[in-house]
Amino acid sequence: MSAPFYKLGAFGDEASLIVAFLIGIGFGFFLERAGFGSAKKLVSQFYLNDLAVFKVMFTAIVTAMLGVTYLSWAGFLDLSLVYLVPTYWVAQVVGGLVLGVGFVVGGYCPGTSVAATATGRLDGLVFVVGFAAGTLGFALVFPLVKGLYAAGDIGTRTLPEVLGIPYGILVFGVVLMAVGGFMGATWVERKMATRAVPAKATE
Amino acid sequence: MRFIPKLTLNQKLGVFALALGALAVFANVAPGHTVKVNAKELLTSVGRAEDHVTPAELAAWIVEGRSDYRLIDIRDEKSFAEYHIPTAENVPLATVLDGALGRTDKIVIYGDGGIHAAQAWMVLRGRGFAQVYTLLEGLDAWKDEVLFPVMPQTASPEEQARFERAVQVAKFFGGQPRAAAAPGSEPMALPTQALAPAVTPPTLPAGAGGGPKKKREGC
Repeated sequence: MSAPFYKLGAFGDEASLIVAFLIGIGFGFFLERAGFGSAKKLVSQFYLNDLAVFKVMFTAIVTAMLGVTYLSWAGFLDLSLVYLVPTYWVAQVVGGLVLGVGFVVGGYCPGTSVAATATGRLDGLVFVVGFAAGTLGFALVFPLVKGLYAAGDIGTRTLPEVLGIPYGILVFGVVLMAVGGFMGATWVERKMATRAVPAKATE
Repeated sequence: MRFIPKLTLNQKLGVFALALGALAVFANVAPGHTVKVNAKELLTSVGRAEDHVTPAELAAWIVEGRSDYRLIDIRDEKSFAEYHIPTAENVPLATVLDGALGRTDKIVIYGDGGIHAAQAWMVLRGRGFAQVYTLLEGLDAWKDEVLFPVMPQTASPEEQARFERAVQVAKFFGGQPRAAAAPGSEPMALPTQALAPAVTPPTLPAGAGGGPKKKREGC
């Protein structure tokens, strides 16, 4: 086992910040290259005429999942050391809805708004200012929403545990879901392309 | 295989992902439940006595107030509440892999005797904890050698001096010296947790043991 590198002490706290910086640059670069620096492209997702967001994100998930599976199968990665975000299902459902509404209304999600700002888009910058203010506001009212913050705490759960399905079969299931999703998404895009598109008409 | 070139790149990637996914069904990935042991390496470090610290060494560390290691009591909570070595943290044996301990921490583990600690040592080393040590012979030896040192009956001046130091250490930890063990003698009462006030202790680290600060993780 030689990974995760940070957990096994391959580098310290300071070096971990540099690594995070480099990975962040890579992440931003690929977001921009996927066209996600544009609110129009992102919001097309919700009008079903361009499902690139869905495809890119699901591709990333499947790629990472297969990579992690094979690295740990090969004995290179110790999966038990990979940090898992605990499940607070009530808080996460509410948070997901807030993020979704913000995504449709603002045209960005936090990561893509930074990528958009970097390419000089004013709407991206406004969005960044907005979410910085929102973060600050959340911190200020935190005592009031503390109960919600940790609502639905069921600890760290993984799908193989919860569903009682062996890890490998679950991996295959997710790949099937992704490939099926891509085919479905392409079909939907073709279907919607033949109709008038309100989002593009108003721009 | 003439049909392959007809697929678009995306379709080829999809087929590739499906193939990898299908093969993953046979992947033996069980996070958290298996250990890989380098038997030779473990045996070598035991042979070189690199797997343990003696009670006297540990006592000296605590007296010095060293905080570059974590002292872990792997007994159950009840035993821990009754008595534990000052600065120890309680992580019962069954939970040593549950995240309280870090791979890069220097860890000294002890139980009542030496066996449970040695079992935990094997598991932790197998899971990549590089700096794990047991307290040699555990709490039993801690009591015999540190808390209640035995007065040598015929002592050379050198032994006498060593014993004097041992008495100081014993008092520091709330124990006391005793005469050569007579068979059937009364068991000594264990000290309460407070360190003896008679000896001014060097400032012990706050928060008993205090390993490196845990970094908050997440997105």
